[in-house]
Amino acid sequence: MQNICKDCKYYLSLDVFNGLCKKTKKDIAPDDTEKSCYEKQQMCKFCKKFTFSQTNESLGNCMELVIAYPDMIAKTCRDFIWK
Amino acid sequence: MNEEYNCFEKNNDSDIGKGEAVKKPALRVEKSRNLYFESKSSASMEFPYWYTRRWEELDGDILIVRRGEALKSGFEHLTPTIYPGELIVMGKTSYLRGSYPMPWLSEAYFMDAEDEMYKEALESGKLSSDQVSTMGKGGGNVTESVGNVISIAGKFGLRKEEMPILLEVAKKWKDKSVDDVGHKYEQLVPEYSEKEAIMRSVVCMFDSGYTIPQGREVINYYYPLQYGIDGIIDICQESIGKVAGSPDMDRLYFYKSVMSVLEGIKTWILNNAKEAEFMASLEKVVEQKKEYLEIAERLTRISSQPPESFHDALQMTWIFHLAVLNEDTISGLSPGRLGQVLYPFWKRDIDRGVLDNSKTLELLECMRMKYTELDCFASMGVVGGVLSGNTFNNLSLGGLTKDGNSAANELEMLILEAGITCDTPQPTLTMLYDEKLPEEFLLKGIECVKTGSGYPAWVDNRTAMEFIVKNFSAEGMGTEEARAWAVGGCLETSAGSWMPLNLNGKVYWIPGGSAPATSVGVHFISLPKLLELVLYRGEDKRIGERVFSDHKIKLDSYENIWKAFQNYFRKAVKALTLTNNIQHDAWRKITPSIVNSFLKPDCLKNGRDIGSQGSRYNTTFNIETCGTVNLINSLASLKKNVFDEKKYTIDEYIKAVESNFGFRTAEESGSYSLFDQVKKIDYSKWKKIHKHSLDAPKFGNDDEYVDSIYREWQNWFCSMAHEYTSLYDKPMYACQISVSSHAPMGAATLATPDGRLCGTAFADGSVSAYPGTDRNGPYALFSSATCWEHSLSQNSQMNIKIHPSVVKGRLGSKKFLELIRGYMRKGGFHIQFNIVDSRMLRDAQENPDKYRGLMVRVAGFTQYWAELGKQIQDEVIARTEYEKI
Repeated sequence: MQNICKDCKYYLSLDVFNGLCKKTKKDIAPDDTEKSCYEKQQMCKFCKKFTFSQTNESLGNCMELVIAYPDMIAKTCRDFIWK
Repeated sequence: MNEEYNCFEKNNDSDIGKGEAVKKPALRVEKSRNLYFESKSSASMEFPYWYTRRWEELDGDILIVRRGEALKSGFEHLTPTIYPGELIVMGKTSYLRGSYPMPWLSEAYFMDAEDEMYKEALESGKLSSDQVSTMGKGGGNVTESVGNVISIAGKFGLRKEEMPILLEVAKKWKDKSVDDVGHKYEQLVPEYSEKEAIMRSVVCMFDSGYTIPQGREVINYYYPLQYGIDGIIDICQESIGKVAGSPDMDRLYFYKSVMSVLEGIKTWILNNAKEAEFMASLEKVVEQKKEYLEIAERLTRISSQPPESFHDALQMTWIFHLAVLNEDTISGLSPGRLGQVLYPFWKRDIDRGVLDNSKTLELLECMRMKYTELDCFASMGVVGGVLSGNTFNNLSLGGLTKDGNSAANELEMLILEAGITCDTPQPTLTMLYDEKLPEEFLLKGIECVKTGSGYPAWVDNRTAMEFIVKNFSAEGMGTEEARAWAVGGCLETSAGSWMPLNLNGKVYWIPGGSAPATSVGVHFISLPKLLELVLYRGEDKRIGERVFSDHKIKLDSYENIWKAFQNYFRKAVKALTLTNNIQHDAWRKITPSIVNSFLKPDCLKNGRDIGSQGSRYNTTFNIETCGTVNLINSLASLKKNVFDEKKYTIDEYIKAVESNFGFRTAEESGSYSLFDQVKKIDYSKWKKIHKHSLDAPKFGNDDEYVDSIYREWQNWFCSMAHEYTSLYDKPMYACQISVSSHAPMGAATLATPDGRLCGTAFADGSVSAYPGTDRNGPYALFSSATCWEHSLSQNSQMNIKIHPSVVKGRLGSKKFLELIRGYMRKGGFHIQFNIVDSRMLRDAQENPDKYRGLMVRVAGFTQYWAELGKQIQDEVIARTEYEKI
């Protein structure tokens, strides 16, 4: 998996097209790849309790119970556990 | 970016210019504004995901408790975001211009066109207004899908990876949303099939119960400012102890739901405090690091306690404003008389020497940016056709205090100054004009409007109070309380109350809203379209469908045409009132308001939400109309040309209208005003009748021939509206603003007997002249506009365009103020101005990139030119421009 800016804990979203790097203060796009300061942020896809859907890569399950989506930021989720 | 902004002032063509006063905001605000200009409207799925998840988890619980928990979960899970340089923080979502769909209200409009839910909505006429609306192609609108971003409703961008979850969540609400449940039951209304046809033909713009069910009202910040969040939780806890197990148990559930939501809001604030700390930990610039830490401290403090300073109080009002906006799809939630609400905090800080005017101004500019960033996620017909992308947060200034003195204060002077230095669309400003207001204050308002911002609008305080007392007297409204009124949304006169704020050992009576949403009920009836149906005996020629059964009235006299019109108008009002009452009932039962409710006196006191009439005043449903002046001009034309002078038969008129007087339609010509229209080959056949139609008496020229028709309409409409009752069994009333609906509703209407062409916009507002037809100057327009009693209606709306050179200098300002005074003294309720050169607007239409910061006044709101659809742009350009007053 590539280090995509929108998955980084230093990514500050401006809109669906653009963002800023909280660390370098540079303008970045969510889909940019960054190697220097990338650090994963809490997202469903990085959570131990999340399982990807077999049929749709943009969907999955949380705790095998409820539908969820991998790209949701889980910074505020009390149940998040790193994979 | 900085240089591009206001670049139109640097235009070398000396004849093209804007207002004279040019000031800049603080550097940090300029940067925020540039960031705003670079950002696009973006949708997020966080809140709807967590709301729906929690809602499902609590299946079977008491509904309002379930709703409270669902909202709590939404707030708790919002990703916190703090942007560099902000002094007022937090937003609706983690995007700068963020918003999100609320499928619990309605879900069909953002489904794929092939989806069954979308097709069903189309069939029932719910999406008809979408088809005749246009969205601005520039600015922050995401008008088409690009790369990993999908465009929704021609405005909102959603990341591609979030689309599957949007569809999954939306499907969970199928047959359960307010829209679907309301639709199920509205079909039991005997007139339902007529209502569907009304919607498909765009006689009515949209349903009100599930589209924007709250708003056009004034928020009340009293409880958070007085008690803080913990204090309100304590009130709820104490009240629960009193009502648990006692009769009228709904109170228990209401208090429980308020506690849940407050816990969610508290967590949301604290999450942002933590984010500010995180931002501080990364920051190397000492000043910025300090600011982040102060933000964290402030948020932590007000997450539980009442504000300790003006800055705290301003931040707190913003948070609660957002909290209300996040509970429903809302347009027109107005901060009301914010300068009077916050004055006690401001004055204390000034007296203590911890705040000065310069810092206050900077904070107010920051506040303006936050309001400007607001977006409302809704369908194309609503957000494009009616709202023009605006959210109508109207800040009122002036008016009177509780004991009847001028309420203007120094902080309001600074709010006006911030409106000049930071000229952004939000919050728009309205001057509650009263003869008691100081001249200096009024002239500050003039200085502001002369910048070309379109605000403040000017409304007559006494006319509004008269309306308020008449409308709410059955609920105990008196003169003193009427003084607490303010404008909600564009121009909806809204009831308020005085609440006792204890600060520094003193009691300050602060005004705030005390009635729920207005402009709910019947949302925009197109008057010219109804006249068209009268001429074609109930058939809509545009869509080839019968809307009403034949009125069976011989159109052989003016009186009979008027009679047939009244007949159809009543039919439309009846069908729409009954069906919308059902939708609103579904709304209050499925998604009752909790945040807005506990803020509004006296919900917290009596334990009832606003859907259970917990507010102090509840007579708020209205009947909104659009295209008044085109209706009146058309009636005058028929009266003159067919019946008085017998130049043509009514059948000849019907044919001329259907032939669009020999012109191509607006859609074909690409022009939505009378400018630049294209003639058809057989134009000469209709030339004479078109000329006579255009030459017939027109409203706005102090001509009794047409003004008497106008007066008859107003007296009849304002009176008949009371015959219909809201869901709460309260009489409805007339509301006469067009917002942007005069463009899409014009697009759905054939030519009209006044000479207007097919598909072109109607005149805006309700007392604005049709563009180019007011030929005798502003005072003649004022005489026509005041030929009836304005306090009979919730509002009347007048737009005037004046060339900047006319009001130049101090003398120009005084002349300008006298013009406004002249209108108010004649009995006018509302007037607003575009101080702009029309040639610049044409240039901006051709070169939008040069004019990113250009704003115009539309009809009750100011919007960036680049974000307006072409229909409205054309209409604004065409408006009469006064070159002398």
